[in-house]
Amino acid sequence: MRLLVIEDDVTLRESLAKKLSEAGYAVEQAADGTEGLYFAEEYPIDLAIIDLGLPGMSGLEIIREVRAKGKTYPILILTARDRWEDKVDGLSAGADDYVVKPFHFEEVSARVSALLRRSGGWASSVLEADPVALDMSRQELTVNGESIELTSFEYKIIEYLMLRAGQVISKAELTDRLYDQDFERDSNVIEVFIGRLRKKMDPDNSIAPIETLRGRGYRFALERNQSA
Amino acid sequence: MNSLSSRLLISVSVLLLLFFGVTIAVLDSAFTEAGAQARRDILDGHLVALLAAAEPGEDDELALPDRLREPRFGRIGSGLYGELRDGDGTVLWRSRSALALEIPGGVVPELGNHLFARESFADGTPLLTLSLAVEWEFDEGDSKSYVFKVAESLDSFNSQIRKFRRQLFGWFAAVALAMLFAFSFLLRSLMKPLRRIETEIGEIEGGSRVSLSNEFPTELTGVARNMNLLIDSERARSDRYRYTLDNLAHSLKTPLAAMRALLSDRHSEKFGNRFDEQIERMDEIVRYQLRKPAASVADNLVLKPVPVEKEVTRLIDGLRKVYHDKAPDFEVRIEPGMQFRGDTGDFLELAGNLLDNACKWCEQRVRFTAVPSVGARAIATGMVLTVSDDGPGIPQDAADALLQRGMRLDESTPGHGIGLAVVKDIARSYGGQLSIGKSDLGGAEITVSIPPVASSRPE
Repeated sequence: MRLLVIEDDVTLRESLAKKLSEAGYAVEQAADGTEGLYFAEEYPIDLAIIDLGLPGMSGLEIIREVRAKGKTYPILILTARDRWEDKVDGLSAGADDYVVKPFHFEEVSARVSALLRRSGGWASSVLEADPVALDMSRQELTVNGESIELTSFEYKIIEYLMLRAGQVISKAELTDRLYDQDFERDSNVIEVFIGRLRKKMDPDNSIAPIETLRGRGYRFALERNQSA
Repeated sequence: MNSLSSRLLISVSVLLLLFFGVTIAVLDSAFTEAGAQARRDILDGHLVALLAAAEPGEDDELALPDRLREPRFGRIGSGLYGELRDGDGTVLWRSRSALALEIPGGVVPELGNHLFARESFADGTPLLTLSLAVEWEFDEGDSKSYVFKVAESLDSFNSQIRKFRRQLFGWFAAVALAMLFAFSFLLRSLMKPLRRIETEIGEIEGGSRVSLSNEFPTELTGVARNMNLLIDSERARSDRYRYTLDNLAHSLKTPLAAMRALLSDRHSEKFGNRFDEQIERMDEIVRYQLRKPAASVADNLVLKPVPVEKEVTRLIDGLRKVYHDKAPDFEVRIEPGMQFRGDTGDFLELAGNLLDNACKWCEQRVRFTAVPSVGARAIATGMVLTVSDDGPGIPQDAADALLQRGMRLDESTPGHGIGLAVVKDIARSYGGQLSIGKSDLGGAEITVSIPPVASSRPE
């Protein structure tokens, strides 16, 4: 998951970016409105965290521009002004949720994963597609109720695929969204990780959770549970 | 052109000019007309005199005596001239006054007719002439036609008119000047109260005066009263801000002191938590103090009415996003066209906090109703807002405590206490009140009633 953080306060931005990276997200940072808008429009991102009071261009304007350009990824606003007037303005401009400063990182993190989940069409923080279940808050994958040990990169891949269950995700998209930097752009790496995931989740090849579509990419193939 | 006096002076001058212009034109034409008529009558008289004096002389022609009754015919260059021509236009007689002058022949009228005409001598002197063509019967029985003509120089008449005009213009100009002078004097004294208001406002700004005095003319008492209201509300507002800032600064000191004390103990196990607690406390203080209402009752009249339905719809659309997972069912009942007389921010704060709390606590259902309340002599309707949910509700003793101050009921869902405290403060600043009860949905029902704004004008 690639996140964009637009915040002018250096301490706050860097600490947020650091903690989000530690939580497994690829993070882009922008320090002012103009730079932020460029990232928001040009980069392949899955969610933007935007401060409302920015130099250069206000957060509200960025949100309006981004939405006018047809971008639909979720937007979380950070605001120091917690009058309802400001919150309502932000939400009706196109933001999806807000966090009021000062905040605990856990709060931001919870909102971010809830928004990502919502944008994938999941209602609960446990993504269930029998017999597979992914608990996003605990970052835990179970198959038939048994927990499966995953490296952080493997987790990122299965989370991305499951959030977009049913959609075809290209290797390029996976590298784009999951890598923090541009190195290791070798698509073989993705193939290797997918192979490992299959082996771990489906050692006897009975449920086939990840489908390969030759030349197009991968798809999480199991049906979502009705209630999820 | 921004000064009232110069605007008035200019418009009055234009009006005076117009009025006097028309008057002068009317008087002038009446005078000229009357003068011309008088001239014609006189000329007619002279013609009749000539006719009476005419007698057949030798050669079977008409002749006139050398001396006529009117002496001006006999004086050379007197300005009054007479002439007699026969039917062929040959001059038979010409008065002595016309010596060496050629009276123009002009148009000959039909037999028996008078004809007035404006003609002139060869040197350009203007003349008013009267010709009469007659058929003269002689004793012998035969008759001949003649043309009698009298002419009078218009020189004296024209100079009379010029003199009249000079006098007319002179007098009117003098009167107009005098009127303008009197008017500007009047204006000065009329503008005096306005200038006094200006000076008094200057004095208020300078601090040597508290409010405008009330000895103004009737037309200005309203202005002065409203000005005083505005000054009062401005003063109250600045007092309120000062008070809020003062409170804010002082209440932040305690957690700051606590944090400093904690710092000396920074290696203890619970340092992080306790430090965080203080930050939380400071945040709450700031939030509470800064969310103090922006408006006071006195300001209500100046503010644009807030369309209740539109703002609530915006709020609920936002809350649907925020509570996406819970997806509460909103049931909204708003009297069509309802308005809130006050600040938009205050209204959003009222409705936002109530709805947010309801969404936070409800199982599934949230109900919002807004109905107007009307009072006697009201110039703006009041409002009763009710927000209820199907959550656990608020126990009575906790409700009492909640209304006392911004106390929290449940630490894990922050903001309930502060939200309601803010709502209570705003409601109170509009002269209204907050009550907490039980909803038929099963949860809490919070009612805010804002009274109608009564007319402050004395009747």
